[in-house]
Amino acid sequence: MTITEQSAASSTGVVVDIPFLIRGRIIEPGPDGVEHSGRAGARFRTPDPRKYAADLVLRDASDLKDLHDTPIDEIIDFLAELGPLLALDCNPLMRAAFELALQAGELTEPVLRPVYDSVPGLFVRSRLSGQVDKLIGKEYLDGWVELGRPGRSTMRMRAIGTRNLHIIAGNVPLVAAMTVQRSALTKGDCLIKMPSNDPYTAAAIVSSMIDLDPNHPVTKHFAVAYWKGGDTVVEREIIRPSRIEKLTAWGGMSSMTHIQRYLVPGIELIAMNPKFSISIVGHEALEDRTAMDEAAMGVALMAGRMNQTACSSTRVVYVECEVDDDDLDRLEQFGLAIHKAFHDLPPHESTAPKRPDAELENELQALALDDEFYRVIGDAKSAGVVVSRTEDPVEFADRLTNRIVNLVPVPDISRVQYWVSEETQTVGIYPESLRERLRDDLALHGVQRTLPLGTSLRLQSAADPEQTLGLPHDGMEPLRRMVRWVIDQSSAVV
Amino acid sequence: MKLDPSRPGSWAEQPFEVLFALSRSEVEQAQRAALVGRFQSLRSSINALDKLATRQDVRVIDDVEDVVPLLFDHRVYKSYPLSLIEKRDFKRLTSWLGRLTTHDLSKVPLEDLNSVDAWLARLDEHGMIVGHSTGTTGKLSFIPRSRDEWPAWKAAHFEVLRAATGVDPRREKIPTFSTGYRSGHQMMTKMGKLFAEASVGGDANRHMLYDYALSSDLLSLAGRLQAAEENGELDQLEIDPQLLEERKHLIEASRNRDGDLARFLSTLADEFRGQRVRIGGTSSDLLRLALVGREKGIHCEFTRDSVLMAGGGMKGFKEAPANWEEIITDFFGVDRIASMYGMSECMGTAPLCSSGFFHFMPYTIPIVLDEDDTPFPRTGTHTGRMCLFDLLAETYWGGFISGDRVTINFDEDCACGWNGPRITKDIVRFGDLEGGDDKITCAGTAQAYSEFMDYVGTI
Repeated sequence: MTITEQSAASSTGVVVDIPFLIRGRIIEPGPDGVEHSGRAGARFRTPDPRKYAADLVLRDASDLKDLHDTPIDEIIDFLAELGPLLALDCNPLMRAAFELALQAGELTEPVLRPVYDSVPGLFVRSRLSGQVDKLIGKEYLDGWVELGRPGRSTMRMRAIGTRNLHIIAGNVPLVAAMTVQRSALTKGDCLIKMPSNDPYTAAAIVSSMIDLDPNHPVTKHFAVAYWKGGDTVVEREIIRPSRIEKLTAWGGMSSMTHIQRYLVPGIELIAMNPKFSISIVGHEALEDRTAMDEAAMGVALMAGRMNQTACSSTRVVYVECEVDDDDLDRLEQFGLAIHKAFHDLPPHESTAPKRPDAELENELQALALDDEFYRVIGDAKSAGVVVSRTEDPVEFADRLTNRIVNLVPVPDISRVQYWVSEETQTVGIYPESLRERLRDDLALHGVQRTLPLGTSLRLQSAADPEQTLGLPHDGMEPLRRMVRWVIDQSSAVV
Repeated sequence: MKLDPSRPGSWAEQPFEVLFALSRSEVEQAQRAALVGRFQSLRSSINALDKLATRQDVRVIDDVEDVVPLLFDHRVYKSYPLSLIEKRDFKRLTSWLGRLTTHDLSKVPLEDLNSVDAWLARLDEHGMIVGHSTGTTGKLSFIPRSRDEWPAWKAAHFEVLRAATGVDPRREKIPTFSTGYRSGHQMMTKMGKLFAEASVGGDANRHMLYDYALSSDLLSLAGRLQAAEENGELDQLEIDPQLLEERKHLIEASRNRDGDLARFLSTLADEFRGQRVRIGGTSSDLLRLALVGREKGIHCEFTRDSVLMAGGGMKGFKEAPANWEEIITDFFGVDRIASMYGMSECMGTAPLCSSGFFHFMPYTIPIVLDEDDTPFPRTGTHTGRMCLFDLLAETYWGGFISGDRVTINFDEDCACGWNGPRITKDIVRFGDLEGGDDKITCAGTAQAYSEFMDYVGTI
């Protein structure tokens, strides 16, 4: 795999070669390679996907037997050995992936580096072990587990690995690492279709796996390829119930429209839909300076982390507040405090954007010509706050990025159902008493996580790593869904 | 003839031959002076302009380039919260509109209004001629034009029409066929009716494909429906009960769309056979008519001096045949397609010349920006973003930045003999280039509406 020296040149119009990785084999694009265009003018070349389509899938399910017979602890050992090899400073492939993501993606160096630095952490033994135990149970992966009372059971269950296609997202490179980890932990056969905005990370990880042991049963069940989404010749060859049992699709409608036509009974869709996140702030934050500053820093963190490109990033903040002039003035004060807090964030949490979003700047400028409905603080170049003066979020709320939040006054904070849905992943809440009051309502209306403004999984994992293991991922439990739960019954106690 | 910079509206009263014969220096001098005057007189009375000028720290305008930081983006005309429409809060909507015009709208009675159509009609009764355009994403933009602009607007329209087609409907009665709606406040629809009323024969001389009103309320809903559909939330959409009755009528009407088409085509081809007619509409609508007509075996035969006028490109027509122009001219039996370039936000349109270029009249100042929003020099040929300053706008700000990518030539050497800066027919929406939705177009409006009609027809 010769990506290191070429990737640096990708932004200058040079074509980058990206191989296919098929069950331990590395297939470089030969003379019949196919060229594709990625984001930001990047061009890359892969082997002809039509030629290899049939090899990308595992046609015979019996071929999963090797992995099926490998004890989960051996799989964990292998992944734990792989983890440290994925560190940026010792892995030129990961470095190449990092450099390409830096060029093609929206994240700045100080924000993106910690993301890549956290990849080896996904493969730490205790984490892998805890994850499997909490979500599936190792014994279900390694054998048939008796379901009845000891000595009287005639029923057993086992978690069986399946053949998976993963159409992954590229906005945050962790998705590639998570996919590899989850697939191995569920003893599945995994084909990853790489996204054009991160065509490297998955290849770099699986390639490192091949370097470690090309004949390991785990390695033998990974294939990584790129083809243009919607290439029906390739997709019809791959997405058939006889070849793919589960299809994990990130990216919602945009990837869904391509694959919908292949969804027939026999292929289970695991839809990792796009998510949006919000924050909710009680009236306390508008009542004294200390509370206001505390809540402002909380909002800045909720929105500023990953420069507001993640699904967990807050975009709209609902603030308990009347829509009279006095309260709206206080809301504007809160907006100013948030704007200041954005600038006070340390660079590993958040920076000014690499490329200001010109469209967003135009939106802000247009709103700023009228004082009655909106107040605009800051801009799209560093950080900004749009204060709504009616109970309406701005119409471009889902496009807010690079540290721009929209404050929306809501006189009645209990009307949560109007602001959230299944699309709402994370809700940061201030103060704590309000979180306790709202969490059941929020959960009933689709929200997948509530937390105090400003905190994060990383902080809570530092306090107690055990409690952050085996979380359900947006309420979807992908690990439990990637296996098939099979029942075995006998006529007598075995 | 001399252009009076203090009254740009009077320029439009001149025949186009006179205007296109003026030298570049005369025109540019008058434009500059008129622009300086517009800024001086409008700044203090248009709230939004004053805010923008303050923010951009522009105190005086000396030259055309100075106006660039003060051009309004299309969002300015729809910067109100959408809930004002949904809640029918016409008081706040009116005060928002009031900040974009020199007119005092605070005296307009609003208490009894319950629809956008009624609101716009009420504003018309009080001296405004507000028209709206809309994108496909669900929000109407309102252009605060008024009766003050009407004389110059009307004069400009008919002169440009004469330049493009050789016909002046103010002086000769020609049966007119149009692919649009009979009435409504959408800018093109509203203009169609207003100008027809100012033509010989009046509105009765106009044959409309859809002989009923285009509803602004349902049009705003059409956008929301489309947005809801994209989000997969179509089933959650609540339709305002006040609109139910109107919707019922529209569903009836939509069932007759094929009938409308057949009636329109047979009136055109049979009743007016051998006569001189004027046919107008968006290119995509006319192509659709031609394809249907051809399939039905309809044969058109009009006098040689009949006129067909089309515009708006092929937006909204999926996979249009490359020879669409030929299909249209063949079917309607005309020699050529007359056209003009314009947008709802600007009263001055540019007629298509015999050499295939759109030429701007002196009362419209074209400015073309490069990628960094810096204006290109006003000589030679350049490709970039089209901006227009409409000097005919007296009571609102005429500076507008469009979503169109054009190629402009400032040199006065067109083979057609007309002076004035000209753009080629190769006009692309930046939004289409980026694969997103950007510019508001009349074609987009028709598309959203037609999708809405299809939708209501099925429920």
